[in-house]
Amino acid sequence: MVAAPLTTAAAVAAPVHPWVGALLAGLPDPAGLRPESVLAAQAALAAAGLPSRRQEDWRFTDTTPITAVDPRLLEPGAPAPLPPVAEGHQRVVLDGRAESLEGIAWPEGIEPLGDEEAQAVLGRCLGTAAAKESDWPVLVNSAMSPAVLGLRVRGAVAPVLELVSDAGEAQGVLPLRVVLLLEPEARLELLQVHLSGGANLTSVVVGAELTSGAELRHGVVATGAAGSVLLARLAIRQAPGSRWSLATVSRGWGLVRLEPRVVQSEGEAETRLRSLQLVDGQQIADTHSRVRFDGPGGQLEQLHKVVADGQGRSVFNGAVVVPRAAQRTDASQLSRSLLLSDRARVDTKPELEIVADDVRCAHGATVSRLQEDELFYLRSRGIGAAEAARLLLRGYCQEILGELPAAAAIWQAPSFSAGPETP
Amino acid sequence: MIRPDAPVLLEIRDLHASVADQPILHGVNLTLRAGEIHAVMGRNGSGKSTLSKVLAGHPAYTVTGGSVRYRGEDLLALDPEQRARIGLFLGFQYPVEIPGVSNLEFLRVATNARRQEGGEEELDTFAFEDLVNEKLQVVQMDPAFLERSVNEGFSGGEKKRNEILQMALLEPVVAILDETDSGLDIDALRIVSGGVNHLAGPDNATLLITHYQRLLDAITPDYVHVMAHGRILRTGGKELALELEQRGYDWVDAEPAVLEAV
Amino acid sequence: MSTASVGELVSQPYKYGFVTDIETEKIAKGLSEDVVRLISAKKEEPAFLLDFRLRAYRQWLQMDEPDWAGLGYPAIDYQNIIYYAAPKQQDKKASLDEVDPKLLETFDKLGIPLSEQKRLSNVAVDAVFDSVSIATTYKEKLAEHGVIFCSISEAVKEHPELIEKYLGTVVPCNDNYFAALNSAVFSDGSFVFIPRGVECPMELSTYFRINSGDTGQFERTLIVAEERASVSYLEGCTAPMFDTNQLHAAVVELVALDDASIKYSTVQNWYAGDENGVGGIYNFVTKRGQCRGDRSRISWTQVETGSAITWKYPSCVLQGADSVGEFYSVALTNNRQQADTGTKMIHVGPRTRSTIVSKGISAGHSSNSYRGLVQIGPKAVGARNFSQCDSMLIGDQAAANTYPYIRSQQSDADIEHEASTCRISEDQLFYLQSRGIGFEQAVSMMVSGFCRDVFHQLPMEFAAEADKLLALKLEGSVG
Repeated sequence: MVAAPLTTAAAVAAPVHPWVGALLAGLPDPAGLRPESVLAAQAALAAAGLPSRRQEDWRFTDTTPITAVDPRLLEPGAPAPLPPVAEGHQRVVLDGRAESLEGIAWPEGIEPLGDEEAQAVLGRCLGTAAAKESDWPVLVNSAMSPAVLGLRVRGAVAPVLELVSDAGEAQGVLPLRVVLLLEPEARLELLQVHLSGGANLTSVVVGAELTSGAELRHGVVATGAAGSVLLARLAIRQAPGSRWSLATVSRGWGLVRLEPRVVQSEGEAETRLRSLQLVDGQQIADTHSRVRFDGPGGQLEQLHKVVADGQGRSVFNGAVVVPRAAQRTDASQLSRSLLLSDRARVDTKPELEIVADDVRCAHGATVSRLQEDELFYLRSRGIGAAEAARLLLRGYCQEILGELPAAAAIWQAPSFSAGPETP
Repeated sequence: MIRPDAPVLLEIRDLHASVADQPILHGVNLTLRAGEIHAVMGRNGSGKSTLSKVLAGHPAYTVTGGSVRYRGEDLLALDPEQRARIGLFLGFQYPVEIPGVSNLEFLRVATNARRQEGGEEELDTFAFEDLVNEKLQVVQMDPAFLERSVNEGFSGGEKKRNEILQMALLEPVVAILDETDSGLDIDALRIVSGGVNHLAGPDNATLLITHYQRLLDAITPDYVHVMAHGRILRTGGKELALELEQRGYDWVDAEPAVLEAV
Repeated sequence: MSTASVGELVSQPYKYGFVTDIETEKIAKGLSEDVVRLISAKKEEPAFLLDFRLRAYRQWLQMDEPDWAGLGYPAIDYQNIIYYAAPKQQDKKASLDEVDPKLLETFDKLGIPLSEQKRLSNVAVDAVFDSVSIATTYKEKLAEHGVIFCSISEAVKEHPELIEKYLGTVVPCNDNYFAALNSAVFSDGSFVFIPRGVECPMELSTYFRINSGDTGQFERTLIVAEERASVSYLEGCTAPMFDTNQLHAAVVELVALDDASIKYSTVQNWYAGDENGVGGIYNFVTKRGQCRGDRSRISWTQVETGSAITWKYPSCVLQGADSVGEFYSVALTNNRQQADTGTKMIHVGPRTRSTIVSKGISAGHSSNSYRGLVQIGPKAVGARNFSQCDSMLIGDQAAANTYPYIRSQQSDADIEHEASTCRISEDQLFYLQSRGIGFEQAVSMMVSGFCRDVFHQLPMEFAAEADKLLALKLEGSVG
């Protein structure tokens, strides 16, 4: 039989996990809009403890890097120098403090969203079947009650909005929360950048509601270091006629888990997901995506790419849910993994759940190393083996990198855009 | 070949039809006698393809009025397969691909269904292979296509040849060819039209649906009908096709009187 | 498409639902260590086997029924099941003349004639009725080639050394909940042994028949192919229609040594319950083959059409270098049936290769899941896997799920997975109909076309049968 993915969490009233207990003990009393919901999240986190590999959703993901992080809120140190802002970009630095979000001169088409409304939008984005509040990365974020950057977007916004966090070498947990409401026909290009240089945890929850005809081009560049952890939930709700196109590129984290969760509330929307995760050394990268079509005629085009080297671990779980209401859904998912080392490991699990007969759903997965014939072709033209491998890797990665705004390149180490180190 | 005394094979009277509650045909009249080749021309959206689908009995199309008699019998009362078995053939504009179903088996089952209807005995696998190999000549088709799934991975021209191969095997009484020329290069067009000419005879009738003259250079029609707004606006000889070629279809819209008159 | 009419087509009555009225010997309901001892005693088993059963039973007590497949069914009351039932006329018949004619008649009705005159000419059959094997044909002829084909109870008596050597070595007695249960209480099943260098001269087949309404069926099959041996084996299953559910928890173990080849085919047509989901077999089966030897090959082909619940993952452990595992599956579910089936391909040895082709057809309110695992271990240099999982949905109330797990720890390995979902489109149906092919035949042609890659893998004698079986479910005119 297939090894049992156990779904039952250890729900017995056990003592609170020490890491969770320490984190909760150090949190200030909740203030702000809904202290009761924060308290509820804290209680739920205390009960949940840490995600366990006995849970199907965490079966392949080792969470020990989380427990190595100091369980207290991160004290932002002196801001590290960031690269200059590219032309046509507007940068906002997220450091977890509410004060940092005040007094920003927003470009035309963007205005702050009231707390109440931001809560409502986030609730709609998270509160569906596809994105339960109780999922751990959301739970831990909610328990820390982070400052919320809430924005309303109208019309076509000209500059690329850059949201940058850098946990640096500081110790602790940095919770960040962003809520976007794209009004009908609004257009925004968003680049999220998360950096870390030490043993800390960046906890990100982004909720974005795309109303009819809205378009969000969304890039995520996440570069970490040994011991650093990034947990990011991207909860998106799409109305008919909207387009969400996401490109994520992650590397370097001790543990990174990205959770794009999309609900096409009435179908008829377009979702495009592109991701590239690179692991090396002892790194773990995990993408758990979930796309649900709650109405007819929705589209999904998903490409997930992996480069695994060293003793890196890569996990991909891609769920596509097509209920009866979602006739004429057209969904495709492709997962491609390159294994460059014999000690690296790749776990891939597409999940298709379909209850509609007039749909096109295709998915594919490949795991392989660099193609011998391609390597040979290049070498037969006089290119050395290492150089040939680098060229091929670069081409392999470029398919995703090319989806990011051009200026995103500044966030990538030089070797990055050239592909990872050669095997 | 026009013979006024030839038996009537297909008689369409005041045919009205709609698809998804959208009326498309608004009273089509057309009579096909044995030995005749008719061409129905018209722009996209004029109702040409709808006419062919209605005649073949596509379930998405609803007949809302009028009648179609096939050799005196009420054609519209019959299931699509029954229409085929008694000799009506539709050559599709876009033949569908049916993965997994072997082309050879498909052709054999279809041929035997038609033979059975005509009181002929079914052909066994071997006898059928002989027959199909003979008919392959008509469309100059590679026997390798028999081993593949129905139309799967066929090029546009190969699909159309496969249609004509089916026509050769089923020996229809009335053949309706819907845009058989679309997407064909010159060679394929020559082979396909050669096949149609080869199969046309004094006892059957052909209805060509097209909007280009070039098919009619290869297959000479006895009658040309111009269709617009779901009706046949004009009927003439093959010279009407040439007139259309020169004048285009705009005059069709410019002649509301004609519309009223029909 | 007129899905309603396709829906009607897939709802044909079950042909094998009759009950044979025959006196049976049953033990009391319930499971305990005493029951395990009683079964072992009734079968006059050697001590090692009783030990095996008791170990399994004790492990089973510690285990939880798995729930990860998300199947919905009321809790099974393991104390409300009879664990041993046998037609009276206990002694294994020396010849078929001594077998109760009612039993022979039953198998006749099922299309498996056993008597000398009528039996299939090139297939040897072991017929298992409830808990015991009632007849095995062609035993002598097979023995001439050194092939052992008999019930597992008989093998325990006559070849205990082989049973002791191989039983439980592929599926350990504590492998999983249902396998542990089977190991504790298994009643009968088939044993096949093909000695070194022998190509089995005929197809071997076991036909399983559940007759009794309150009896669980726990058969155990063990097939061993020594070096350079090869065999093709087929099992068929039917059961009467009861409005209660019967539990079927079988274990099948295959062992292939160097250069050996085992082809195992299943046509499963247990009673599926009625259109409201009342009755039917709960089919929880553990099947695993071990390619122990270099260049060995194990191939599973299954056509699953019956059972209220199917939970089975015929798997291959590819240990020997260059060994090959294959899994070809057609699973058809209708009404309220639930199927969770797939395979595991565990690549251990270098240059091991595996192929998975799964075709799921879901109609009615049924749920049909493919769940599979392809695992490439660190030593499986040059391993290759290709998987294809296609689903066909008929009607908009049926569910098709696909969960293909892939785990790789070897950079020099290629894994490729493809999956697609389709339905029978109105245009395809119309195309066939417009060539004179009737609606039912058109649907049946397309479904069998969809399954073609799998049917090709069945032994010739059974490919037509499988096609017919699907047609039976899909076509009103048959039967």
